[in-house]
Amino acid sequence: MTVELDDQPLPGLPVADRRRVRRAAASLIRDDRRGFVVMITVNCLAAVTMIVSPWLLGRMIDAVGTGAPVSSIDRLGAALLGFALVQVVMVRVANQLGSRFGERTQARMRERFIDRVLALPPTVVERSGTGDLAARGTNDVTLIGDTLREAAPATTIAAIQIVLIIVAALLVDPLLGACGLIGLAGIGVAGRWYLRRARGAYLAHGAANSAIASQLTNSAAGARTIETLRLQRARTTACEEAIAQSRAAQTRTLRLRSVLYPSVDISTVLPVVLVLLVGFALVRQGTTTIGAVVACMVYMQQLAQPVGTFLLWIEQLQSSNASFARVEGIADAVTAPAAAEPRVGAVDSDRIEARDVSYAYPGHDDVVSGVNLKLEPGERLALVGPSGAGKTTLGRLLAGTDRPRRGSITIGDVVMADLEPEELRSHVLMVTQESHLFLGTVRDNLLVGAETADDADLRRALATVEADWIDDLPDGLDTVLGADGHRVDASQVQQLALARVILADPHTVILDEATSLLDPGTARRAERALGAVLAGRTIIAIAHRLQTARAAGRVAIMQDGRLIEVGTHDELLDLNGAYAALWQSWSGIDAPPSPEPVDG
Amino acid sequence: MARGFDPAEPDLRGPVRYMLWLVRCQRRRALLGAFYGSFWMVSLAVPPLLIARAIDGGLEKGDASAVWTWALALLAVGVLNAWLAIGRHRTMTRIRMEALFGTNRVVIEQVKRLGADLDRRVSAGELATIGVADIVITSAALTVTGPGVGAVVSYIVVGFLVADVSVLLAVVVLLGVPALAILVGPLLGRLLGAQDSYRDDQSRISAQLIDVVEGLRVLNSFGGKRRHASRFRDQSARLRDRGYEVAAVTSWISGLAVGLPAVFLAGVTWLAARLASEGTITTGELVAVYGYVAMLVIPVSSLIEGADQLSRAMVSARRIVGFLGAEPMRASGRGAVPGPAHQAELVDPASGVRVEPGRFTALVSSRPGTSVAVIERLGRLVDSDATWAATRLTSIPLEEIRERILVADHEAHLFAGTLRRVLQGNTDADDRAIEDAIHVAAAEDVVQALPHGLDSIIDERARNLSGGQRQRVRLARALVADPEVLLAVEPTSSLDAFTEAIVGERLRASRAGRTTVVTTTSTLILAQADVVLFLVDGVVAAAGTHEALLAAGGEYRRLVSRGDEPDLATGPSAVAVLDRGVPT
Repeated sequence: MTVELDDQPLPGLPVADRRRVRRAAASLIRDDRRGFVVMITVNCLAAVTMIVSPWLLGRMIDAVGTGAPVSSIDRLGAALLGFALVQVVMVRVANQLGSRFGERTQARMRERFIDRVLALPPTVVERSGTGDLAARGTNDVTLIGDTLREAAPATTIAAIQIVLIIVAALLVDPLLGACGLIGLAGIGVAGRWYLRRARGAYLAHGAANSAIASQLTNSAAGARTIETLRLQRARTTACEEAIAQSRAAQTRTLRLRSVLYPSVDISTVLPVVLVLLVGFALVRQGTTTIGAVVACMVYMQQLAQPVGTFLLWIEQLQSSNASFARVEGIADAVTAPAAAEPRVGAVDSDRIEARDVSYAYPGHDDVVSGVNLKLEPGERLALVGPSGAGKTTLGRLLAGTDRPRRGSITIGDVVMADLEPEELRSHVLMVTQESHLFLGTVRDNLLVGAETADDADLRRALATVEADWIDDLPDGLDTVLGADGHRVDASQVQQLALARVILADPHTVILDEATSLLDPGTARRAERALGAVLAGRTIIAIAHRLQTARAAGRVAIMQDGRLIEVGTHDELLDLNGAYAALWQSWSGIDAPPSPEPVDG
Repeated sequence: MARGFDPAEPDLRGPVRYMLWLVRCQRRRALLGAFYGSFWMVSLAVPPLLIARAIDGGLEKGDASAVWTWALALLAVGVLNAWLAIGRHRTMTRIRMEALFGTNRVVIEQVKRLGADLDRRVSAGELATIGVADIVITSAALTVTGPGVGAVVSYIVVGFLVADVSVLLAVVVLLGVPALAILVGPLLGRLLGAQDSYRDDQSRISAQLIDVVEGLRVLNSFGGKRRHASRFRDQSARLRDRGYEVAAVTSWISGLAVGLPAVFLAGVTWLAARLASEGTITTGELVAVYGYVAMLVIPVSSLIEGADQLSRAMVSARRIVGFLGAEPMRASGRGAVPGPAHQAELVDPASGVRVEPGRFTALVSSRPGTSVAVIERLGRLVDSDATWAATRLTSIPLEEIRERILVADHEAHLFAGTLRRVLQGNTDADDRAIEDAIHVAAAEDVVQALPHGLDSIIDERARNLSGGQRQRVRLARALVADPEVLLAVEPTSSLDAFTEAIVGERLRASRAGRTTVVTTTSTLILAQADVVLFLVDGVVAAAGTHEALLAAGGEYRRLVSRGDEPDLATGPSAVAVLDRGVPT
């Protein structure tokens, strides 16, 4: 984040509305229609195998009651055993299909997510920050994946089982089956009561738990600061506060379950009792058999398990729904490319010109206002001013990353922001102070700028920025960098970024404090080398220190979003304005020294 | 409480011992959980008994009052079971919750104990795994204390009930159930292996996604998106395939967990039906046996699930125990020699740096890392030969050093809280002291820009402040602490020239008479220093005032003063000798 941008409140990324969520879910299923149909079918079959045994038991009881021969008992027994064995296999296959479906869908979802992330307009990324995006891509996608793998198959099976058990009971005896259904009404009431409150309570529960975890990881990240500033007591307090909050949130969800679970438990006993009593009357009338009554009673008992499963997971389904809305919300931020008509190849000049340019972040005052600036090809311009003056924003406008609110920025005769990204970056590149080190090898990091460069090119670029540490790496260009590989410091990351610029070879480079982390000697040499390599190219150097200005061809002073002075160093001194005043306070330090230095 | 058991002192002799410690911390609750778990599971065996009576005594004989009696008894037992079930659930939830909190507390204690050594002992990723997953998995496994115990008890009770019907059936049931558990056992091992590698791939793909998100700015300006997209796709496909592998195993486990009890149930029912047709047992007893064995599904699957949870928790608990057992690298706080009574000279023999008491010293180095290393030795963030009033810092209690010497890191962590709390640090500083520090750090605008001034909430890592604001808040916090010796690393590197000049002057004035060391290459700060120590290759090469060193010319002048570099024409800009910024 740049200084200027950081001061703006971050508008959040969009969250998909209900309709879009439904459409997105439907499209995920449609993309894998066969897999989905097979999964549901096999799950149905698995549920069927699970409900055959009470029916067979009922037949057995009737057979025993009527004094049937042992052979018929054996036939029924063998069938019972056979179905149980089939059940093992069916449940296994159903589960596997469910998991595989979940796994595939999750993979598609995260690939779609990364495609959308890569298609996000740069402004959106700048404005909403990377934290939320990363959280959506990791936490939310993982939660949905877990749901797809576990909750979705479990609830599917449970729902199918519930339906089949009820159907089976109705088939055995419609009246007894109906009795069972009446008994189940309690579950409906309790379930509704619970689900209406569960979402908010579980969201708070989840938030409190992440607060505990983040409290811990932050303490770990700041362990050194805890020691140096003796913040031990404060961390204990923070830990206890997080615990207290988590306890309160968990107690609340526990209270909800304390109502739900007993209601469900009692509601599953009621149908059994009802079937017993009504069944007794029917048996006396001779309209049904004892076997049928027993079978129905067993069915009613069997209902308890899938109903419990269903209620257990439905809450997770709800929270995944919220996650899914966040993941899908990214789609709303991906707008169609802004260019009305791509102007490929239309750029005939390297001259960049800003005319009366103003820019504001939505809902805020202008950070850049009324800027006029003409850049001659090959010119070196220093853009200086206090932090918060709008230098970086102007740099981004000149780089074509953002479109001005008012006025225009053109390259040759073409409006910069109309250019296709591919075209744009062959003209202008902006290198920021904080460059990203990509996971992967040195080569991976350099090829970002030029996918076709060969090793000789890479080595030449690295040599130009004096990244001689590359020679000491165990695997040369193939050395993996970063936390899991060879550790590099911030200045080495900056060298890689500069090497990237050399490889990309644009005609205009905007350096936004791009050498600030290098040690002074290396920075100076790197810049000189960069200047030599990019001879004839336009360079805009953004800095908040005056030293930069002195060395550039022209200096532009920026304050409160405006260019207040533009000219060469000497011209600006003669002008005796803001630059001259700043320079005075600086050059006072360069006063002729007197005493002899002492050797250490 | 058993001898030698201390709730504040976790048992780190192994993952099992650690989990036992978590149970012993809440022994009473664990016993209650076992009580509820056992009674609940045993009472699940009662409805089949009642149903059998209702069939034999009521349905078959056509006895209405018997049917009503048994039906009402069934209802009563149902209500009792519901009560036991929720009692069990509530107790177990509390046990898991307290175990989670307990582990959190001891992990925080260990974080505090390791302090600056933490980074050198464990990676950030490892701790994130502990914080996010391991603590939860370990506490979830404590479920075995309630339902686990209950499962064993109910198994035995059901054995007796079945023996009452038929000894033959009882033998079959009592031998069959353990056989089931043993059958499922080996699968768990395979499950663990598959899950572990799945989790590794999962965290790798998360890392890659974060990598792309954070590098978006670079990808946007340089291109290279296709390359990253295809790399991500490869990883994603690999994770999916790994997921298939895991599913192949887990699906067997759930299949067997549901199916094996059913197979067993079928076998026993068959046997019982034959006994019933021979007249050895009644129809009601046949139904009862079916009910008993069907009910055994609950304890058996609870045991299988418990075994699964336990084996996963072993992995997690091992990681937790590993972290808790890590020892600080420094011979921490064992010294007993008191520090100097008054301000005294700090000396770092390795670099030749001598810090005179009560003065403002600046360290300049052509490589920033070397001055930081000096600060770490002088601030005893590492063990070294550094001395304070000729006493080795390692001989002085660490506690005392922390109280008197403050290292203000360049990237010192800013914890969440109100700005006031952030600035107070561990002091009870009042608003006046805080405002003074804010003034010295020229951070008035930070307070003004926030909606509620000092009462505004600062996010974790002060993400809601800009880089320059963060740096000034860090400096102000160090000044509020008002240490006898302040060792500050690059305290003004992200500030613009104007602000930096102001901070330099005010800092010097506010620290007058007390020892202050700053690392910097800014002439604005160097000009304020009483003594400038110039380090070359980590060793003091020159010392004196800034003016004196400048006058002597040479490397120092070249390093800090760039105003008159002659190569303006060739260089793009002589950008930034002093442009040292921080990532914001």
